[in-house]
Amino acid sequence: MDLLAGIFTDYTLRNVALGAALLGLVGGVLGSFATLRRQSLLGDVLAHAALPGICLAFLLTGTKAPLILLLGAGLAGWLASLLMLAILRSTRLPEDSTLGVILSGFFGFGIGLLTFIQHSGDSDQAGLDKFIFGQAATVVGEDVLTMAVLGGVALLLVGLLYKEFKLLTFDPAFASSLGLPVRGLGTLLTSLTVIAVMIGLQTVGVVLMAAMLIAPAAAARQWTNRLSTMVWLSAAFGVLSGVLGAVISATRENLPTGPLVVLTASLITLFSLLLAPERGLVWDWRRTRNNRRRIRLERLLLDAHVLYNHAELTPESLAQRRRTAPARAKEELEELAARGWVTGRGERWELTEQGHAEAHRLEQAMRVLPKALNPRAEGGAGGAA
Amino acid sequence: MIKSSINEQASALPRRAAPLEVRDLTVAYHEKPVLWDVDLSIPEGQLCAIVGPNGAGKSTLIKAVLGLIPKASGTVQFFGQPLEAARRRIGYVPQRSSVDWDFPTNALDVVLMGLYGRLGWFRRPGKAEREAAMHALEQVGLTAFAHRQIAQLSGGQQQRVFLARALAQASDLYFMDEPFAGVDAVTEAAILQVMRELKKQGKTVVVVHHDLETVRDYFDHLTLLNVQVIASGPLEQTFTPENLKATYGERMSVGVGR
Amino acid sequence: MKALHLWALALVLLLSACQVQDFALRPIDGDRPVRAVATANFVTDLVQQIGGERVQVTGLMGPGVDPHLYKASAGDVRKLTQADVVFYSGLFLEGKMVELFEKMPKAIAITDAIPHELLIAPEGGFEGTYTYDPHVWFDVSLWAHTAEAVRDGLSKVDPAGAGYYAERTRQYQARLQELDAWVKQEIGRIPPAQRVMVTAHDAFGYFGRRYGLEVRGLQGVSTVAETGTRDVQELAAFLAERGIRAIFVESSVPRRSVEAVVAAVRARGKELRIGGELFSDAAGDPGTPEGTYVGMVEHNVRTIVSALLGGEHP
Repeated sequence: MDLLAGIFTDYTLRNVALGAALLGLVGGVLGSFATLRRQSLLGDVLAHAALPGICLAFLLTGTKAPLILLLGAGLAGWLASLLMLAILRSTRLPEDSTLGVILSGFFGFGIGLLTFIQHSGDSDQAGLDKFIFGQAATVVGEDVLTMAVLGGVALLLVGLLYKEFKLLTFDPAFASSLGLPVRGLGTLLTSLTVIAVMIGLQTVGVVLMAAMLIAPAAAARQWTNRLSTMVWLSAAFGVLSGVLGAVISATRENLPTGPLVVLTASLITLFSLLLAPERGLVWDWRRTRNNRRRIRLERLLLDAHVLYNHAELTPESLAQRRRTAPARAKEELEELAARGWVTGRGERWELTEQGHAEAHRLEQAMRVLPKALNPRAEGGAGGAA
Repeated sequence: MIKSSINEQASALPRRAAPLEVRDLTVAYHEKPVLWDVDLSIPEGQLCAIVGPNGAGKSTLIKAVLGLIPKASGTVQFFGQPLEAARRRIGYVPQRSSVDWDFPTNALDVVLMGLYGRLGWFRRPGKAEREAAMHALEQVGLTAFAHRQIAQLSGGQQQRVFLARALAQASDLYFMDEPFAGVDAVTEAAILQVMRELKKQGKTVVVVHHDLETVRDYFDHLTLLNVQVIASGPLEQTFTPENLKATYGERMSVGVGR
Repeated sequence: MKALHLWALALVLLLSACQVQDFALRPIDGDRPVRAVATANFVTDLVQQIGGERVQVTGLMGPGVDPHLYKASAGDVRKLTQADVVFYSGLFLEGKMVELFEKMPKAIAITDAIPHELLIAPEGGFEGTYTYDPHVWFDVSLWAHTAEAVRDGLSKVDPAGAGYYAERTRQYQARLQELDAWVKQEIGRIPPAQRVMVTAHDAFGYFGRRYGLEVRGLQGVSTVAETGTRDVQELAAFLAERGIRAIFVESSVPRRSVEAVVAAVRARGKELRIGGELFSDAAGDPGTPEGTYVGMVEHNVRTIVSALLGGEHP
């Protein structure tokens, strides 16, 4: 396909796709830890907090060099996370309220600064507001290099400290008892997430950045029960979203790249939430439905079994025992027959060998004696385990 | 406890340092004290219970001793050494409810975490570590569940995984925070067996225990705690109606004087 | 307590009623300068030229500010409330302030004075809101019309100065006629094959139409939308194919998107440099020649001509 070839041959598409892929990669890896630590929204806070950092960096240096602005963004994000930790530790404010306060506080400050800069008449300020939604299509070779270096450092640290981060995320108390510097490691992990945000700011912008930390990780969790697999999958989903988003935005005019990347990531997550085996909603629904059906049939069989042994198995007797209409009882007998557990027709029904075996197996498994026919025997029935 | 005479004796005889020696430990959140002036000496090679009403500070005691929460004052020594020097000799079984069991990992992996202390930074667990972890799982009877996702384990099995993790640490002193809480009979028996095995090996086990009914059958040493230490010493001497009343207040009704 | 609530409510209603009055267009009382507020800085310049000593103009947007994206602050609203008359460009140039102006009878869209047949309506319209391309000021002959809207607006609030404003308008329109002729002459110096102008956004449609240039922008008529990857690719392909050697950045639009196009074209092995900075949606710093409308046009034309003739412009 011409378009896919363009990823390699066309300068613009190549760099945009690379930039988006890098974002997906780093966001996916660090997002895995963030979501497992229940700090998904931390990414949102870091991203929104970056705005005042960018504005202040511009005000102090007077330039719009990407590295300077990103540095400002990173520092502000880092400050926000430290502030958040301090508030969580020293006050009783719950986590979500703290996140909300810091996010809106920093972001509001950023918008205020942005407005101030716009009104100040400095003709050089055009473009600061582009950080709010990103401008992925303007990524060029140097930007990709910056992203690669930053991302490389972050990923290297994750690789070196993988088992420490894993333990920290799962059981910080035990980690601390081993002598691991839990606080320091936690701060480091958050700082690496700041780096991920810095990479993403130019591509998807402040508002959408959180999605690139949360979506790939949430999707990956659905498919595996091993952390290492989850991290790799999350990275893969991130890269896929980045590349696909870039490619799709190259098919027509006026398609913004950043939002398309996020949209792709969200669709992957939606798909995973619904269709992943074991954890997927669709599978869950099917499993529940199958279970219910099976249980109903098993109880039905046990009723039939008791009737057959102690009296006779007819639609009437079954209807009476199960308190339904004879017509319905007849249908139920047909159902049992379909499974090979009973045979007969009309009024006379009996259990097959298979039916007997199955009924016995069920009784053993449940250690329940079905309600005896005789009301006197009812009280003496064995209790369930 | 008469501190001065103990000190005299300490200088007179060459003594093996106690596995745990706590002096004047105080922990407070805001103005309310959670632990006040706690003195505790745990003897070596015994199964020691810490018991008290809810909110008595039992978990807090373990956490403060292990440096997991800050203390307002007091000193803690392990085998005569400070915490940092003695970490290798300490094993910890936290409360089961303290983690989210939906974490993507299996039982073996969790037990491997107990070996991270030995591995140090940057090294990955290898074959030797895996074998040690499997051995620990064997000791708690969970060999078949090694590769089971931990969310799929029952409460008792999860508790045993935590125990196996601590066993993998191959320590001399073990702290367990309510290991018997909410577990099935099979698990309870397994844990007890492990504890007795540890005692046979000369290890010391300190357990925050929630059930007064079983204290006498399981433990050798008892500490009654309610913000302060009410009493601490060999079980028979400590487990008296007066002490229990002092710890729990008038509402005590366990068959004590049997 | 109920009575207190009713009084408070009545007070609030009374106060808000008072607010409404401030947006009407009424002649000023007394012998004082007219307080006028304008939006984009070239509009401010126009009002200054026509109003002279009888008018005190405040501009809301400075140089480098993008009128498509500009949002009024509380301070701006206060200025607007206190003004006797407000002049804005119109045709949705000030995209985010339109709602505000529609509620204000004293706000005058100066482009209303231009006959609609003279406006450019791109096929399909854009983004739903634009029926017409708003960048009328680069056709100097069209801009001359807008001076009349300013004259009429000022005369309504200051009838005593009507004659003064009329005279100044005549003089300014004469100046604009000269400018128009000069631009035609300058552009005429460029060989027809080289008369292609590529800019950051489609702000030069009228300029191209009036003075005979093919124009193309990276972004559409409004800078609100994000540049798409395809937009960059297509423009780079166009530039490479046609062998165009200069592309222009604009003072109020971020350079980054244009730089991305330059990088893409260079990667195709073609030469492309930035031919200079043009004033598109804003004039230059106040106090400089480029801070006035005439100065803005002259700067642009000189830059364009020099770059397209292959001159040494940075």
